[in-house]
Amino acid sequence: MMRTAISILQKDLRMEFRSKESILAMWIFSLLIFVIFNFTFEVSRLVMLEIAPGLLWVAFVFSGMFGLNQSFALEKENGNLRAMALMPVDGGEIYVGKFFSVTLIMLMFEALIFPIFIIFYDLQLSLGMFRLIPVLLAGTIGFTSLGTILSAVAVHTRNQQILLSLLLWPLVSPIIIWSVTLTGMILSGEVTEAFYPLLLRVGAFDVIFFTLSYMLFDFILED
Amino acid sequence: MSVPALEILGVSKDFGRIIALRDVSFSVMPGEFVSILGRNGAGKTTLLNIVSGVSRPSEGKVNLFGTDPGDRENKAKLAVISHEMFLYGNLTAIENLEYYSRVYNVPDAKKRIDTVLSDVELTHRRFDLVATYSRGMTQRLTIARALLHEPSLLLLDEPFTGLDQHAIGMLIELLKKQKDMDRTILLTTHDLHTAAELSDRYVVLSKHKIIKDGYIADTTPDAIREKYFSAESQGAEA
Amino acid sequence: MRSKIDKILLIILLIAFSVSIYLIFQWVPQIKASNPAEQIAQRIFYFHVPSAWLGFLAFFVVFCASIAYLATRDRKYELISVASAEIGVLFISLVLITGPIWAKPVWGIWWTWDVRLTSSLILWLIYVAFLMLRRYLPDGSKRANLSAVVGIIGFIDVPIVYYSIRWWETQHPKAVMASSEGSLAAPMFFAFMFSLATFTLLYVYLIRKRYQLLTLEDTLNKQFKEMEIL
Repeated sequence: MMRTAISILQKDLRMEFRSKESILAMWIFSLLIFVIFNFTFEVSRLVMLEIAPGLLWVAFVFSGMFGLNQSFALEKENGNLRAMALMPVDGGEIYVGKFFSVTLIMLMFEALIFPIFIIFYDLQLSLGMFRLIPVLLAGTIGFTSLGTILSAVAVHTRNQQILLSLLLWPLVSPIIIWSVTLTGMILSGEVTEAFYPLLLRVGAFDVIFFTLSYMLFDFILED
Repeated sequence: MSVPALEILGVSKDFGRIIALRDVSFSVMPGEFVSILGRNGAGKTTLLNIVSGVSRPSEGKVNLFGTDPGDRENKAKLAVISHEMFLYGNLTAIENLEYYSRVYNVPDAKKRIDTVLSDVELTHRRFDLVATYSRGMTQRLTIARALLHEPSLLLLDEPFTGLDQHAIGMLIELLKKQKDMDRTILLTTHDLHTAAELSDRYVVLSKHKIIKDGYIADTTPDAIREKYFSAESQGAEA
Repeated sequence: MRSKIDKILLIILLIAFSVSIYLIFQWVPQIKASNPAEQIAQRIFYFHVPSAWLGFLAFFVVFCASIAYLATRDRKYELISVASAEIGVLFISLVLITGPIWAKPVWGIWWTWDVRLTSSLILWLIYVAFLMLRRYLPDGSKRANLSAVVGIIGFIDVPIVYYSIRWWETQHPKAVMASSEGSLAAPMFFAFMFSLATFTLLYVYLIRKRYQLLTLEDTLNKQFKEMEIL
């Protein structure tokens, strides 16, 4: 059933791990984000803790944009997007393949970025931090479910990177707003009863965005 | 009477400012090799896109093996070779072919990959990244990729452009072999001699319309050029 | 026939706008506010809110036309969606301009990250991106498909954006925003509804004109192509 989606995922991950330089570049880049922010906003440690969740998501979102741009540039390179349109499967299945590959790659970046973040902001690791896992998952899936379909749109233009930002940022802003809030609750150790309903809400919008993109992807492949 | 593999019935593609095809009709029998001739911008590529189900006609109908071209069964039966490679430079030849064989559900894939690789004489480079290939080698691998799932219908969009002599010769040989296997083949080209060497029939597209549908056996490449592609014929034909 | 309808519409619009300007600036009684600037600025409301309404209406039309396009592949719906998106962006721009003009004398600031302001801004950004995308793509059925997809996703996202910012706002109490609204007095309500109706009529007129222009462009382009052929 999902044979094509799995093949696309395998192929993407294989290529991603082959270009180790780009993973390294991404990691260094996020390191730079923390460094630059530290000097542009010279704030006390207390304020820093307050803006830290936002900062973390800025780094995540940049890495996600990087992954999306790279992934779809590869598909455009040798006309592979047309090859996908010719495949004997629904566009939705191709969407699923690309979605899982960009999501896994973004999660991998997040796993690489998070330890630096902990060290730079001297955060105390605690058991409560495990609650970050569903938050990161929900936020990332929201970002990539829209990001995948909009990258496939933007890749048809000459200015793929700028256009993807223009399309994706405003549309994905609700997911980012909630993810930052949820992350803030965990990092400050003030997880209120609002936490789980909010997390559920992000999850619900993930489902909406994913389903919508799944249904519409066929039209993007068509000429 | 056998049933045509492909029927194009009054197809037009006309969208906004773009006019690509106007009332094009012809049919192709199974096993036939048809060359679609015409200048750049005559609508050849659009026609192949419609046959492959990627593009929709704004008017008219296409029957491929009796059904809509966009059907999964039809897509599984066709292959396209064009100037686009449909290959990933960061994967080896084997990995590229493995990927496509899984997507197209090729039975006994390992053996089939070995066969197509040796057909295009790339067995010795199969573990190298495609990015390291010369242009000619990449083109050969493109051919191997297209033949991987043994398509019943081959759509070739200017496949000879950019090929070196070696690859051209190889592609011609492979196409002859495909023809002997009774595969249906549509070729767009402006190389009249190759078209005449390979195909049974030719269709001339000019300014989005068919102006000639005839058999190669009844003519010569030079006669075709004289009649449809010389400077004087341009004004008269429409 | 078509031009006759347009002419009648135009005449009605001219009359309606004259009447609403009279209603807004002469007929409606002065509000009681401690700040004299606020008394004058308050009248922006009769243009500001109808513009916002018109923007939403326009984007809803983009959404419907996008769905209709994907269902039928009829060029007509593509042109309607573009025409409507352009008008929508124009009027949301007016919202974003008139908003601060009102806010400065009343709140003492040009901008605040209030839910309506912020979501209007994001709404504006979404549809500017939609129009930008179209500029970057060559004309053809591919562009029509891609922009219809964005037109659908964009509109579905609008309530989610509004919802998320409203939620965010409750987490961050603001200093400004002393509620000066309350319920509208009867004459104000009448003037407001009249203005709203006038703006809606303006939308009908504008989209008709823009659509006709786009169709004419298509016809003209095709005729040039024909001339090359013959």
